[in-house]
Amino acid sequence: MSKFNRRQFLHTSAGFAGSVAVMSAFGRPAFAQDTAVRHFWWGNPERDKRTFAVIDIYNGKTPGVVVSGETLGFADYFTKLTTQIAGGNMPDVIQQGYGVLFEYIANGAVVPLDDYVGKSLDISKMDQSAIDAGTVGGKFYALSIGANSHMAVFNTRLFEEAGVKPGETFDPFAYTYDELKEFAAAIKEATGVAGTDDNTADYQNFSDFTVQKGANLYNEDGSYGPTQEIVEEYWSTWAGIRDAGGTPPGPESAALAGVAELSQLGVVTGKSAMSYLWSNQLVGVQGLMQDVLGAAVYPNTPAMIPGSVIQPSQFVCLTRDSGNPEAATAYMSAFVNDLDMTAVLGLERGIPSNSEVRAALEPNLSPAEKVSVEFFDRIQGKTAPLTAPPPSGSAEVEQTFERLAVSVLLGERSIPEVATDFLNQAKAILARA
Amino acid sequence: MLRFFRRNFAGYAFLSPWLIGFFLLAIGPILASLYLSFTKYNVVRPPQWIGLDNYFYMFQMDQRFWKALQVTFSFVVISVPLKLIFALGVAMALDKGIRAIGWYRALFYLPSILGGSIAVAILWRQLFNYDGVINSILRLFGGDGPYWLSDPKYSLWTLIVLAIWQFGSPMLIFLAGLRAIPQELYEAAEIDAAGPVRKFFAITVPLLAPVIFFNLVLQMIEAFKSFSGAFIISGGTGAPLDSLLFFTVYLYNEAFSFLRMGYASALAWVLLLIIALFTAIAFWTSKYWVHYENERG
Repeated sequence: MSKFNRRQFLHTSAGFAGSVAVMSAFGRPAFAQDTAVRHFWWGNPERDKRTFAVIDIYNGKTPGVVVSGETLGFADYFTKLTTQIAGGNMPDVIQQGYGVLFEYIANGAVVPLDDYVGKSLDISKMDQSAIDAGTVGGKFYALSIGANSHMAVFNTRLFEEAGVKPGETFDPFAYTYDELKEFAAAIKEATGVAGTDDNTADYQNFSDFTVQKGANLYNEDGSYGPTQEIVEEYWSTWAGIRDAGGTPPGPESAALAGVAELSQLGVVTGKSAMSYLWSNQLVGVQGLMQDVLGAAVYPNTPAMIPGSVIQPSQFVCLTRDSGNPEAATAYMSAFVNDLDMTAVLGLERGIPSNSEVRAALEPNLSPAEKVSVEFFDRIQGKTAPLTAPPPSGSAEVEQTFERLAVSVLLGERSIPEVATDFLNQAKAILARA
Repeated sequence: MLRFFRRNFAGYAFLSPWLIGFFLLAIGPILASLYLSFTKYNVVRPPQWIGLDNYFYMFQMDQRFWKALQVTFSFVVISVPLKLIFALGVAMALDKGIRAIGWYRALFYLPSILGGSIAVAILWRQLFNYDGVINSILRLFGGDGPYWLSDPKYSLWTLIVLAIWQFGSPMLIFLAGLRAIPQELYEAAEIDAAGPVRKFFAITVPLLAPVIFFNLVLQMIEAFKSFSGAFIISGGTGAPLDSLLFFTVYLYNEAFSFLRMGYASALAWVLLLIIALFTAIAFWTSKYWVHYENERG
């Protein structure tokens, strides 16, 4: 029955977000003299609700400017954006992620903000690291709206039922794949629910593992970093956890390869007790379920070399199609600095990069947000250095990984064979891109 | 010329909505895609002329192109005949003069109206999920259903079943065709003591041949172009293991996931040529098995 409730929840919150959208579209008529600013982001019900509310606040504060919001799920966002680029009608302000941002800068779809800094755009309170992350070739392009890292979330009720106690029998901030195998199988034994999602087809976890093994996803010259040994060891490690009964059956995980929907995570569907995501997604996932989530890092090898990075989760950027860059950058500025607006946004997009905003948020955090902040405090100094953004073609390499991992999950071909196939294909893709 | 138009004016008048749409809306993009198929074009930067490179790459280097062809051909070859047989079966059952036939016709046609929609594809995904309705029913009978969607052995079959389920429009056309067969032929056959099988193959099939042919061509083209079901069920990527990598899904992937609009345009033109080729083959073979009543021979 919990499934039904979740769906109902989704419907109501989507309906709510929708009605807010309608309100902001029709609630204040746009007069001819009003300046229109369009803001486009990828979201989830929780994020959409908050962002539309923030747009209403901004519109209330700034007569003469009407911001309108547009939102889609992550999978459709870039498709829509692509057609908008082709049509020359991109919204003024768009959301970008660390991985893809640089392709859009290189292509000229996103324009520099330097001319507006100190005028319509205030970045005086931003962390230097966040400014650096949005700077390419000496020009400042992207305003970070939150920092992020890889996070494992676990269902505290199921963990407790199985006697796996965070801080006692399991250290959420340093545990190995072997330990994971042990307690995942124990959880399955005790509760009937698999202890963890199966990450065989999870590229995020694979990239972590690669760094833990002392390699990088991409070498300095743009070639592919993981070796045959690393790919094989990664898949064998997860095969071990799967064979021990710690994950859902292989074919079930195969069905979820490459699926980015939060609602399909094992912790949300109730198929497993532990799922893997970006830390900012914790708030959204907690909103989809009843049981309380705890936060942990990704599993590691006994050498405990950090594999995760802290990076901006998302940026807001100004597009070359913006008709009124002053108004657009003023809105962007408020989006990261205005205390009323950031109070509503909270930590949903990650930990804010503005120290003043962080301080103001501290006393009013929701329980899930508190978990998120604590997690961030705990991982400081235990993460890998931020690497250069991936070269073009990386999205296709990722999709290829997810596709081939399915044959590992189904046990169709041997792990060494699939690993060789994957590395060959990755090489070909990068050569073509 | 003028006489030709005067004589056919009514025909062109009926065609005009399509003609206007074609010349105003479709022909521009069609020609543009032909041009783009000879370019490297990532949308953001202007297209770059590369001659036949896209086509060379496709035929010489691109393994997924061949995989997409294989999946698409399997789908067409299996789903089209099954769908036509099913449609003909239902049409013959309805032709028996059942009461309230109008209702049945509407009822059976309903899936075809819904069929191409995203909602039905999502419904299909729910039905065939491991925990879905189909497996729940199998479990009632003590069976343990497979992973229909994530096992490449079965995934294409779920889409074939979806295609067959949309048998409505060929069924309606068959029904009209069956009505046009003179009853006295069957009566004469009965007097000669022909059984139902004999009657079917000696009377129904030959006299229905033009209608069968028409449905075959239409459904074949439809099947080659099939997209939304595979797109939704495979999560847009052709998963699992490219077993649902329909040609159209691959094309979409190249265009919108990897921003290779030039290459995707080339793929689109190859699909067009494939469909044209198969339609031509169908027309050519029809000489040998389709006979029209008004044909003199």
